[in-house]
Amino acid sequence: MGWPVLSIMTWAPFASALVIMALGRSRPALVRWTALIGTAVSMVCALWLYVNYDVATAGFQFFEEFPLVPSMGITYQLAIDGMSLLMVLLTAIIILAGVFASWTVKTRDQEFYALLLLLVTGVFGVFVSLDLFVFFLFYEIAVLPMYLLIGIWGSSGEVRPQGLFGWAFGRTGVGTKEYAAMKLTLYLLLGSAFILVGMLALYVAAGSTSFSLLALEAVEFDPALQSWVFLAFYIGFGILAAIFPFHTWSPDGHASAPTAVSMLHAGVLMKLGAYGVIRIGMGLLPDATQQWVWLVGAIACINIVYGALSAMAQKDLKYVIAYSSVSHMGIVMLGAATLTENGMNGAVFQMFAHGIMTGLFFALVGLVYEKAHSREIFRMGGFATMMPGIAVAFTIGGLSSLGLPATAGFVAEFLTFLGAWSSANSWWLFPAVIGAFLTSLYVLRVVRAIFWGPKSDDPRFQELPDAQGTEWVAIVILVGVLVLFGVLPGLAITPIDASTVPLLMRLGGM
Amino acid sequence: MNTSYPLVIESGLFTLLLAVFLLGLVRRRADDLLAGWVTLVGLAGLTLAAWSAEPGRVALEGSFVLDELSLFGKRLFLLSGLLSVLATLAMTHPSFRRRGTEYYVVFLASLLGMLVLASARDLIVLFVAFELMSIPLYFLTGFLKGEDAAPEGAMKFFLIGSISSAVILYGLSFVYGAAGTTNMAAIPPAVAVGDPLMLLGLGLMLGGLGFKIAAVPFHMWVPDTYEAANTPFVAWISIAPKAAGFVAILRLYVEGVGEAAVLWVPLIATLAAVSIVAGNLMAIPQKNIKRLLAYSGVAHIGYLLLGLAAMSVSGVGMVLFYLVAYLFGNMGAFFVVQAVNGAEQSDDVEAYRGLARRSPMLALSLLLFLLSLGGIPFMAGFWAKLFVFWAAIEQGMYLLAFLGAVLTVVALYYYLVVARRMYIEDPAVPTPIPVPAPLMVAIGGCLAGIIVMGVYPEPWVQAFLRVALTLFSTN
Repeated sequence: MGWPVLSIMTWAPFASALVIMALGRSRPALVRWTALIGTAVSMVCALWLYVNYDVATAGFQFFEEFPLVPSMGITYQLAIDGMSLLMVLLTAIIILAGVFASWTVKTRDQEFYALLLLLVTGVFGVFVSLDLFVFFLFYEIAVLPMYLLIGIWGSSGEVRPQGLFGWAFGRTGVGTKEYAAMKLTLYLLLGSAFILVGMLALYVAAGSTSFSLLALEAVEFDPALQSWVFLAFYIGFGILAAIFPFHTWSPDGHASAPTAVSMLHAGVLMKLGAYGVIRIGMGLLPDATQQWVWLVGAIACINIVYGALSAMAQKDLKYVIAYSSVSHMGIVMLGAATLTENGMNGAVFQMFAHGIMTGLFFALVGLVYEKAHSREIFRMGGFATMMPGIAVAFTIGGLSSLGLPATAGFVAEFLTFLGAWSSANSWWLFPAVIGAFLTSLYVLRVVRAIFWGPKSDDPRFQELPDAQGTEWVAIVILVGVLVLFGVLPGLAITPIDASTVPLLMRLGGM
Repeated sequence: MNTSYPLVIESGLFTLLLAVFLLGLVRRRADDLLAGWVTLVGLAGLTLAAWSAEPGRVALEGSFVLDELSLFGKRLFLLSGLLSVLATLAMTHPSFRRRGTEYYVVFLASLLGMLVLASARDLIVLFVAFELMSIPLYFLTGFLKGEDAAPEGAMKFFLIGSISSAVILYGLSFVYGAAGTTNMAAIPPAVAVGDPLMLLGLGLMLGGLGFKIAAVPFHMWVPDTYEAANTPFVAWISIAPKAAGFVAILRLYVEGVGEAAVLWVPLIATLAAVSIVAGNLMAIPQKNIKRLLAYSGVAHIGYLLLGLAAMSVSGVGMVLFYLVAYLFGNMGAFFVVQAVNGAEQSDDVEAYRGLARRSPMLALSLLLFLLSLGGIPFMAGFWAKLFVFWAAIEQGMYLLAFLGAVLTVVALYYYLVVARRMYIEDPAVPTPIPVPAPLMVAIGGCLAGIIVMGVYPEPWVQAFLRVALTLFSTN
């Protein structure tokens, strides 16, 4: 028993948020460096965990325990296994990059960083807590600051609502940041209402003694109860993972959010939903998983194809990325639904790969917007000559998105496709492949239109600078990770495999 | 003096009332805050006395008991009274400067009614205490008689309050007829055998009590009354008389009834569901923050009834927890409303534009109070909601708990609309809002309450479960 590394990692951003709130008034440099130190501490902890996690033993490691509400069996119990290890690493990378990406936030920077760091504490907490209840507490912390972050620092879309319902959408404020913030918050809180009821139902059914995941895993729940609780979890967490038809908050929210928040939300928080479905829904309710897996897989197929088609129809750059997340989260859910080792590994790997990739995309879109003050794809053009660095990074991200070998995206999609083919519903492979094809269409189209195609005549876009200073840091980190894990996928697959195999054993899939 | 004797605290309060009354006769000066300070110090002393009291004694041949539940009630009433008086001291309205003594005397009379009610184990004592509590409330609602809304709100409150009292009395006569005695100890056996006259009587009384606690469909008086009355008083009636109503309900329908209490579950569950849905939905279009809090208060009554509908030890214990959490959250929110009203002369949500830029601490306080009311973790209100859902699920009422959980999202919507005004929009005027010292103390106290209960709920849960246990074990 040495340092409580998990707690340090989780609470370091919170501590720096407190310092920022206390001392950061009109001291922008202090705010940024405090945020950087806090997230760097988390990063170091995450790396330490990655190095020291014993893959041979597998299972949960680095336990920390402290009774919180003994009368209800609520324990502050932390531990990680291979899956959460990778998610923690993802979170640490994204937030470190996010701090650099928001280095230039000008208005109310003190509150911005404090809320961002608070949010990150929630995300770390979700991935490391073993107690279902503490999990839920952190989950709520990860949701709420979002409202203010989008509402205050977000940006409203340029493309106004059109078409049949354009008038009604305009009246309700579709496309504005206030609308997006409220929609996102309410959707996610609705999800948490489902989760809360399901959680309490399991707790009561298990005898009201403990919320610990390990204790609940040992209980054989009644199949009827399992059946509806699984649906509650699937909807509750699925909203966060943007499953169809509960995905509509995600494009609006991600498009309106400020850069670092989009990165964190699309990059990490959506994974949190998938993580919840896999770890809690599937992990605790094996019978119901077998019962409902057809639904999970079918909806995932809809997500993949529908998300890709929607992305194709967008004119606003941020909406394209946001809809591509909907499509890619479909791959995650599909991989999980295959209940095969390859598919499950692909799902978790895709969570990681897509997190890094989307983080990179949103960082770059933020930069483009900051320089060109536009998100309209077909107004911009030929930016590669003015900002070669951003263009190259964006292209690498795009290639990973469409699953080109030697990028992380390829490994994830390939494993998922293998899993889908060998699963009970092998037809799932076809929508998945169609989705990958559509992805290459819209990604290449966007990359060409903005960066490599003919130069735009618009006078606004004639003299644009490339990324500078701190902006490079975020890009380099993310591109590096994307390529590293594409070339050496074993770095991630080994710990993932150590956690998916026991899960599949429980599910009776192997 | 041993405060564990029954009636000691009540006598103390009565003495305080007389002292403030005499003070008003002796010192006829405008702009005098002395009566307020005397009331405050007296109430603080009584609150401490109530905290040191031990349960277990009975007076007046069993009509007046000092048990765990009554002590819980007394502490809650005194604490909320104390906070309200603190905030009242910050009132600058000319009527308060001129007729302050009157206000405090009547306020203390109502408080006295509540204290007696908490201990009443006899139908007549219960009814008299109810009236002693209610009649001063009508007066206090119309206290600012120069304002346009005050007489209307007071009249509405008075008419509906009187009718509900009549309904209670009518039901009470059936109960007496069935039991042959006014002692409440006779109720459980009659309920257990299912005496129809008794059930009719108790059913009528539940309707009357429904008016007092403002459950839907008996809630119509709430928004008008809240809008009309002065804010520190509204903060108080948003919790204390409702808590009194719940104490009465616990006495009549739960205490000693045991298994037969299940009889009331469909009725209470229906009231709970209707209150939660209607209260939350009606709060959405409100433009005035006091009306918004009034409707959200109706929804909170629904959640309290949800815990009650579980009719279990954990259910009742969690209702008590909810009451205390609601006390801090709701009173705190009203105190911030009072501070903003002092500067803006308006209770419109519009007046909260850019509050975060004008007075960051005040805005943060209101945000935390609203989040607590909305049931967000690390605030008292989160545990309160969680606990009542838990109690409901324990009894297999999944759908009811689910309904409640989904409607908290609606509640968060209208709370977030206020948050949007405060945090996202720009202020019309950039000047900070002045907060008088007593009000600041009151807000700070409520803030401490929601955070302490939110971060470490364990000791509170234990204490309230112990209280609930006594209700189910005595017989």
